[in-house]
Amino acid sequence: MTDSRLTRRALIAGAGGAALAAPVLAQKLVDLGLPGGPSLRAMDPAFPGKGEMIVQRIRPPLLETPMEVFREGIITPNDRHFVRWNWDLPTAVKAADHRVAVGGAVSQAVSLTLDDVASAGEVVEVVAVNQCAGNGRGLSDPRVTGTQWGNGAMSCAKWTGVRLKDVLAKAGVSDAAKRVRFAGLDVPLTDGAPQFIKSIPMDIAMRDDVLVAWGMNDEPLSLLHGFPLRIVVPGWFSTYWVKMLATIEVLTGEDDSYYVADSYRLPARPITPEDKDFPTIPIAAMPPRAFITSHADGAAVARGKPLTLEGIAMGGDAALGRVDLVGAGFELPCTLGHDEGPYAFRRWTVTIPQVTGNIEQIGVRAANINGLVQPETLTWNPSGYARNVIERITLVAQ
Amino acid sequence: MKAAVILSLALSLTACDSAPKVAFADASVTLPDDPMELPEGPGRDAVLENCTACHSPSTMLQQPKVSREKWESIVGKMRTLYKAPVDEAAVPQIVDYMVHVQSVSREPSR
Repeated sequence: MTDSRLTRRALIAGAGGAALAAPVLAQKLVDLGLPGGPSLRAMDPAFPGKGEMIVQRIRPPLLETPMEVFREGIITPNDRHFVRWNWDLPTAVKAADHRVAVGGAVSQAVSLTLDDVASAGEVVEVVAVNQCAGNGRGLSDPRVTGTQWGNGAMSCAKWTGVRLKDVLAKAGVSDAAKRVRFAGLDVPLTDGAPQFIKSIPMDIAMRDDVLVAWGMNDEPLSLLHGFPLRIVVPGWFSTYWVKMLATIEVLTGEDDSYYVADSYRLPARPITPEDKDFPTIPIAAMPPRAFITSHADGAAVARGKPLTLEGIAMGGDAALGRVDLVGAGFELPCTLGHDEGPYAFRRWTVTIPQVTGNIEQIGVRAANINGLVQPETLTWNPSGYARNVIERITLVAQ
Repeated sequence: MKAAVILSLALSLTACDSAPKVAFADASVTLPDDPMELPEGPGRDAVLENCTACHSPSTMLQQPKVSREKWESIVGKMRTLYKAPVDEAAVPQIVDYMVHVQSVSREPSR
């Protein structure tokens, strides 16, 4: 490559940038407020069955739920539920042909039809928050690479299915069983790359509310959400909620597969960005989180008047205990709304008696019934997992 | 049609044991195209040839600004872990491109 070609390319780059700017500005963009940027995201293209979503990636799809959706209620409508695929998904699945293989450390390996699965036991419904382990990664400071989510890689739905333990019983679990591993129909594009498979410990697998689910808010799962079946582990991050479930494998030892042994892991103890070679643990249970949904950062509020704030909160892997509005030199307990169960979003509301000036850096702090409380400062980790620092905004008195 | 017939038969058979709780229908979806719009820059061709099979340009361009060493590490991980068929000679060009596009602000100042 010659210098003159480089120069010409540099000139073309300038022109190309300007040409690209026009269609980009014509799009509807959302600013995720990511420190240092890039922070703007397109709200298109549209995806089948989905409403307006923040398009983080087109293929495989990564669609973030806009924060305003969480103003509406506890349940996220299916067309606004966030979407996350590690690998490409098949775009067609024939129900009659689909099988779920249950094998590994079992008495008798079986291949189950969808109807076999659906009739494996009592039908169970659970309302649970589905949250990506990397939700809020883009807000990490210092920033880290990976999908640059704002805080909308979370949603809440009513899931319907049968208990995983009832499906396991079809094959008979060995007494030596330690973990249960799941695989879906999504497979890597390159030979030899790790398949997205995930496992949970046996005690979690045998819980009464861990499901093989087919229903999402009384509708069949769409392909984007894992048709025909997905695992639901209430209280645990959605990396374990394997979609398009095709294989259930009972393990008698630790899981050495990539997405458990090498990825989706947190530092075992707090670290700094300079630390290297620290011990890690798998990300698993979700911590509590809370969000103000009635007001965005920088919103105007009426001076001299009372101010009511509203939002959502979650307890993580235990029921929400309390939510407090916290600001400079004050705390106010929030009133909790309707309870849809320990793993659901719950609404909160609080009224500040009188707005006397700008309300700087206020946030809401959730605590669960186990006493786990949202921290004041970010517990930084190099993959941006499990963000649950108190999210703060400033309101401007007018 | 054939699948629907098989499905209804399966449902009637399982009904002998217990009433079917859900009827599964076939599902399909047509996903939107991923426009391959990458700004010009040194190494762009290497990125188009080696990276875009798996990565949306949008995703690449949304990453926070990181060092050349971090990009080298990321491209290395794609080759060794994810078995991406990236020619070793293309690696410096890919890294050059990522460093270049991150040095050019793509957003209006706010």
